[in-house]
Amino acid sequence: MGLKLQNVSKNFVGKLAVDNISFELEKPGVFGLLGTNGAGKTTTIRMLLGIIKKDKGEITWNGKAVERKNVNFGYLPEERGVYPKVKIFDQLMYFAELKGMKRKDAQGAIEKWAKVLKVEEYLYVPAEKLSKGNQQKIQFMTAIIHDPELIVLDEPFSGLDPVNSEILKNIIIDLVKNGKYIIMSSHQMASIEEFCSDIVILNKGKTVLKGNLKEIKESYRANRVLLSTDVNVEKDIKDLQMEIEFTKNNEYIIKIQDEESAHQLLKNLIQKNIVVNKFEIQKPTLNDIFIEKVGD
Amino acid sequence: MRDLKTVINFTIKDMVKRKSFIISTLIILILIVLGFNIPNIINLFSNGTENVNNIILIVDSQNIFEGTLDSINELDLGYEVKVTTENLSLDDIKNQIEAKEINEAMIIEKPETGNIKIRYIVKNMATVTSVPEDLVNAINQTYSNLQISKLGLTQEQIQSITPNFEFSMEQTEEQEVSGNLFVMMMLSIVLFYAIYFCAYQVSSSITTEKTSKIMETLVTSASPKTIVLGKTIGIGIVGLVQVCVIVAVSLISAKIFLEPGLLESVLDMSKITPTLGVITIIYFILGYFTYALLYALTGSTVSKPEDIQSANTPVAILVVIGFYLSYFTMMNPTSSLNVFASMFPFSSPFCMPFRIMMGIASVTDILISIAILIVTILIIAKVAIKIYSNAILNYGTKMTFKDMVKMYKDKNN
Repeated sequence: MGLKLQNVSKNFVGKLAVDNISFELEKPGVFGLLGTNGAGKTTTIRMLLGIIKKDKGEITWNGKAVERKNVNFGYLPEERGVYPKVKIFDQLMYFAELKGMKRKDAQGAIEKWAKVLKVEEYLYVPAEKLSKGNQQKIQFMTAIIHDPELIVLDEPFSGLDPVNSEILKNIIIDLVKNGKYIIMSSHQMASIEEFCSDIVILNKGKTVLKGNLKEIKESYRANRVLLSTDVNVEKDIKDLQMEIEFTKNNEYIIKIQDEESAHQLLKNLIQKNIVVNKFEIQKPTLNDIFIEKVGD
Repeated sequence: MRDLKTVINFTIKDMVKRKSFIISTLIILILIVLGFNIPNIINLFSNGTENVNNIILIVDSQNIFEGTLDSINELDLGYEVKVTTENLSLDDIKNQIEAKEINEAMIIEKPETGNIKIRYIVKNMATVTSVPEDLVNAINQTYSNLQISKLGLTQEQIQSITPNFEFSMEQTEEQEVSGNLFVMMMLSIVLFYAIYFCAYQVSSSITTEKTSKIMETLVTSASPKTIVLGKTIGIGIVGLVQVCVIVAVSLISAKIFLEPGLLESVLDMSKITPTLGVITIIYFILGYFTYALLYALTGSTVSKPEDIQSANTPVAILVVIGFYLSYFTMMNPTSSLNVFASMFPFSSPFCMPFRIMMGIASVTDILISIAILIVTILIIAKVAIKIYSNAILNYGTKMTFKDMVKMYKDKNN
């Protein structure tokens, strides 16, 4: 059950935009679709939603082809857009009705979400009078107003301030709790790490990494040590042939080859009676993994 | 079907609520009401201040006409003729013109030998469009009458030398052409502007959606077919209502503000029948769909508002050609070119209604022309929807005709 993409490809005038991609969302949750600009994320999403036709492969939702009539989906496109001259309420109602909602239900849903997203005061104002961030919240509302099962969010956090990002995060968490399948594409690795259980990383149309985020991270060896001391210990670090990535006020980020060398460093410092305020051996972040996989 | 209704409703509301739409409609209506009041307004300003009639002084110092010139005033030529037998000099006349007692003058002189001379005195030759022939004819006639009466002829004799022709016109072709060219031209022009401006709205509406980047949300909510048809129908309904309001306000203002009989003198009201109204509306709808769908096609190829003008030019040229084809052949409605114009789908909406009004279009002709239009609309709709579906997500440079052909053929997209 859930969403399944099998060997999906798309060619644009001689250029392979998406090359044989497969992934699956078996249970509710947030799936991360990562990749550099032009990696094929938006093309994958557009094929997924049937906006453009795929050349090859199969995309199914609960075993059926993904089409408007088979799947109740919501979509926040990367290209943000609203009707500039139309009042917010009218455009929300328009899309809700197109998605098959009754006027009365739509009205209730609009009022509810406007409250959650804190845009109640703008409901009867033309969209052009709203700030970009608020317009984005309106578009997010069009994506979820009809209570879809499958939600595709293309860069949902870009352009939002921390307060609004927080509101959006909480909504996404709630949506997952309510059993929604969410596909999220983002450049902000922190937000992906926060939400996503499974990810796929695309590069130039190809899958370069795929799987459960936690398992992926565990498969990587520790590569950094975070150290904070009372005195300057630069010499001790360099004695062990270790590379300092960053230092400030006796705080260090040290690159390590293996955990052994890190333990040796800690031992040395303790022997010298140097006060160690913080010592943390770190696994690579998603950011590191991403750069390693797609950076040339 | 439900989606189509939703798109139509949204389009209508969006259009009707726009300030630009409300203001432009109001301005048109105000201009119409003002236009029909122009004769009243002119009268208001000219009343009592200036005599609209030209006063012409005829100086017959030798009394050649023996006082018969006064009878010219009975002919009601639009001049007020004053006759004098005083021997006025050119300076006297000049003074009278300067003092605005008279506008022009004619001095009649009979030399010892030769013809009678009439000197036409005006203030400035540049402001005179032509010599008042009717007045000169009247003077001629008066002189003849005077001379004839001196011959002492009997009533019969006078009648026998006075021409009294009865004139009538008949045609050799069997089809009877009737109707008023002015009304037909008005009808054609109204249809042209209504179709052109309404259809153009479709293009700008689609481009607005593309430039405001709402397209992607929209195509995942409704099918391209629903969007194109919904938009076209919605704007068409608004346009039709707008045109009907404008025509109604024009007719009502004409009835209220124009002098009674003036409207009937230029507009043969008996020709404006409910059937003609229905047929005109049918041709408006069909013509509108033909051009609106073409505009939907060009509108969807544009992604920047500044490109819309150039993308729409081919359609604009087509609509102008269609209009002039019917407009210029109107003078000669039985010509084969006019028959062609009434069948050719890009000109028949402007042409057929007046052929019907003149009673020269047979029912078969009408049905054939409607069938051709419907087939054309279906073909354009198919191409437009296909191109629209493929072009809407194409942001970037303006598409060429070659790109469009490729998009139409591209099954993968």
